Amino acid sequence: MGAVSMVGGGDEGDDVVTPGELLGDSAHLVPGRGAYLAPNGRSVRASLTGTRRLVPPPPGSSDQRSVVEVVGLKAHGAVPQPGSIVVARVTKVMARIASADIMCVQSKAVREKFTGIIRQQDVRATEIDKVDMYQSFRPGDIVRALVLSLGDARAYYLSTAKNELGVVSAQSIAGGTMIPISWTEMQCPLTGQVEQRKVAKVD
Amino acid sequence: MEYVNPLTGFRIDGRRPNEMRQIKGELGVVANADGSALFEMGNTRVIVAVYGPREVQNKSQQSNNQALVRCEYSMANFSTGDRTRRQKGDRRSTEISLVIRQTMEASILTHLMPRSEIDIFVQVLQADGGTRSACINAATLALADAGIPMRDIVTSCSAGYLCSTPLLDLNYVEDSAGGPDVTVGILSKMDKVTLLQMDAKLPMDIFENVMQLAIEGCKAIANYIREVLLENTKQLESRRGG
Repeated sequence: MGAVSMVGGGDEGDDVVTPGELLGDSAHLVPGRGAYLAPNGRSVRASLTGTRRLVPPPPGSSDQRSVVEVVGLKAHGAVPQPGSIVVARVTKVMARIASADIMCVQSKAVREKFTGIIRQQDVRATEIDKVDMYQSFRPGDIVRALVLSLGDARAYYLSTAKNELGVVSAQSIAGGTMIPISWTEMQCPLTGQVEQRKVAKVD
Repeated sequence: MEYVNPLTGFRIDGRRPNEMRQIKGELGVVANADGSALFEMGNTRVIVAVYGPREVQNKSQQSNNQALVRCEYSMANFSTGDRTRRQKGDRRSTEISLVIRQTMEASILTHLMPRSEIDIFVQVLQADGGTRSACINAATLALADAGIPMRDIVTSCSAGYLCSTPLLDLNYVEDSAGGPDVTVGILSKMDKVTLLQMDAKLPMDIFENVMQLAIEGCKAIANYIREVLLENTKQLESRRGG
């Protein structure tokens, strides 16, 4: 490894690395975020510009190697991954599908929106064939959903089939922001009208 | 014309045969882009803006297991000696776009960003020879600025052979002399070549020398680029109060 300059105001001597720099040997380190295993299988190199951090291995795990990661200062925009929680705005509601624009991935806003769809069978966990899409979502609702998979060529597949997933915020026909009263109903504060949604249980 | 003075050994712009032009790199010059950079090699000035990873515009080209890398190269009307309006899809532009795309794609870890697209827009502001190399160097800086994971820093430099001397980093006058022009792009730390292009012909042993000279030029640029990135990171950290 060539001479690596220290960050000014040094905190524990975390050094700044650039892409391609050797971080260590694969016998002692596991590549984390911002690092990768070189094709020769033995060296771990950086893939981002940032500070090098060592994460100690979880106690009791079989692999006792530390994880080395590079924390970039300007990380690239979030991309939805299967298993991540996303926040999306519903754009279209149809008989068996609701279409939504993904705006945040795990509390990080995306640079440009991704398209996701919620299928009828993924709206809730019980009685999935009796789901009425129009009584679960309306266009303009903000929903919290789970990414099931990368889906087809057009959109990610999302699911709201958990208690904490579903409509987080919605506007009533009268224009007021509705208050959730149960897991299927929301009430408008201006008119008192109750509307049906698949509501998320927010703590 | 004597491109290398036989008495002093200087070239027409006063450089020695193995001397590169003055290089300068700057990050974050396009505020709207995810990453951007300005790179100068002597009088050649190139600006690169990187957008991505973002959703693929043309769904038919989408790939399920890796990111799509797109590159567009264009020269500004005022970049050369005579002001000409260049066609968007002319042969030279398409060729250089392809070359830059393939070179950067070899370094970007595309499998980490499936179903998305990375756009690299290259604009030449001033062309004085070695535009291809300046574009690749600027693209590396811009991709690093955007935080896109890469295997290594890709740098490029050109070298030629005039008056029986290998010359490093040809400018426009030396390039138009009709001698061979070898452009090399390398992954600096891993010591691998990702781009090797030459026009005209060269005997094999002389080619080895010229290519080796270009590779040394690439390594020098890589050291400079690394310093620019480290300096930029320190500045960002200090602004953040780190």
